[in-house]
Amino acid sequence: MGEVELSCRAYVKMYLHACLFPRCSVNGLLLSSSSSAGGAVCVTDCVPLLHSHLSLAPITQLALTQVDVWCSQTQQRIVGYYQANACTSDSSPTPCALKIADKIAEQFDGAVLLMLDGSKMSPDYRVPPIVMYERKDSRWTLKDKHTIMLRQWEEIRDVASQMLDSGDHSLLVDFDSHLDDITRDWTNQKLNSKIAELCSPVNGNI
Amino acid sequence: MTYACSHCPLENMASVSELYDVGWEEMRDKLRKWREDNSRNSEQIVDVGEELISDHASKLGDDVWIIYEQVMIAALDCSRDDLALTCLQELRKQFPDSHRVKRLTGMRLEALERYDEANKHYDAILEDDPTNTAARKRKISILKAQGKNGEAIRELNEYLEQFVGDQEAWHELSELYINEHDYGKAAFCLEELMMTNPHNHLYCEQYAEVKYTQGGLENLELSRKYFSQALRLNNRNMRALFGLYMGSGRSKTFASVSPQAGLDTEQQAF
Repeated sequence: MGEVELSCRAYVKMYLHACLFPRCSVNGLLLSSSSSAGGAVCVTDCVPLLHSHLSLAPITQLALTQVDVWCSQTQQRIVGYYQANACTSDSSPTPCALKIADKIAEQFDGAVLLMLDGSKMSPDYRVPPIVMYERKDSRWTLKDKHTIMLRQWEEIRDVASQMLDSGDHSLLVDFDSHLDDITRDWTNQKLNSKIAELCSPVNGNI
Repeated sequence: MTYACSHCPLENMASVSELYDVGWEEMRDKLRKWREDNSRNSEQIVDVGEELISDHASKLGDDVWIIYEQVMIAALDCSRDDLALTCLQELRKQFPDSHRVKRLTGMRLEALERYDEANKHYDAILEDDPTNTAARKRKISILKAQGKNGEAIRELNEYLEQFVGDQEAWHELSELYINEHDYGKAAFCLEELMMTNPHNHLYCEQYAEVKYTQGGLENLELSRKYFSQALRLNNRNMRALFGLYMGSGRSKTFASVSPQAGLDTEQQAF
């Protein structure tokens, strides 16, 4: 399967989502604004979804529907799913992660399933704390690490740490928080601007 | 998930009292409010509590001990073992034979992932006092932390046979069942909670979500009823409102909101 590139914005928001709810499992959707060229997928953004009751259907369905509508209005598409388990010792995909990823794969061929490895999430970690899966022969298999790209990883990592230290993670709104207070913006425009300021423009796919 | 941030040394930061222009009494009262609300805002508790006990411990009187306990637990939550140990040592000096302090010792060991030693502490408490619910619950928490959900469920069921009125335990059990995708049993736990808390809109709404997830015509009917009930109890519960909308849509095989027809099959099969 093709290459997958994670943009600064997508990685930082996922990381901050997991840090905002350190005691819960969290999940979200991975989006792309560019059409895949030659099998390569560029994840340009993500939408944090839930931090409670990940395996219950109604809110997940609601979120999928709303994100889908938003994507069609903003020329994006859902290309994957991410999850970070509350139990840091186990970063394998849960049954509900596989189910949701399956649904996404039905709509998009190169869909990816990304698990955040909690045990590797510290500010000075040398490799990205992510494990990626792709769909091969109707099963989710580990993706070859060399096909996963994070341009300027150290810079992205530093941006994420900086935002965490300055408390910016509290600005992040996931779908659950949106349902608690419907005025909060789950597309996180404010946070996106902050990330854009900190990420170097050289990292093209912001 | 352990908190990944590096904690700024206090010397480089303005103190809480300076930042928020509050005196020690307000800080003490804030801590009391958080205790009463049982809020888990551990980072704030550590910030306020650490300053309060280092600068104003002598003024707190007997309150200081419960504050030590509160700050210690919050410190464990934020991976501040230094602070937790300081609090624990003060408590041990003051209450050398206390089960309550022994439980805190166990919790610190849990935070350091020394589960076998923690279990030994809890077993010692239970030998002395078999009705000590706190120690039993900590043992179940250890199982959960180790990912042994099946065993945690078994132990929690046994606990509830003895302590059938423990709401917190029923809710914890419903969460464990939901994580294991055992929706029938999760529904049973929520039914217990709804019986004893008929005015709690959150339990109605969670029950409705579980029923919706179970699927099938009868369960969808029930989910609509309970989403409606949740809305009657609190008309600002957005999850109940959306749940009711989505449930009604499914029952009538309403056209999907999404332009992508593919999502219809997703709704059916979920």
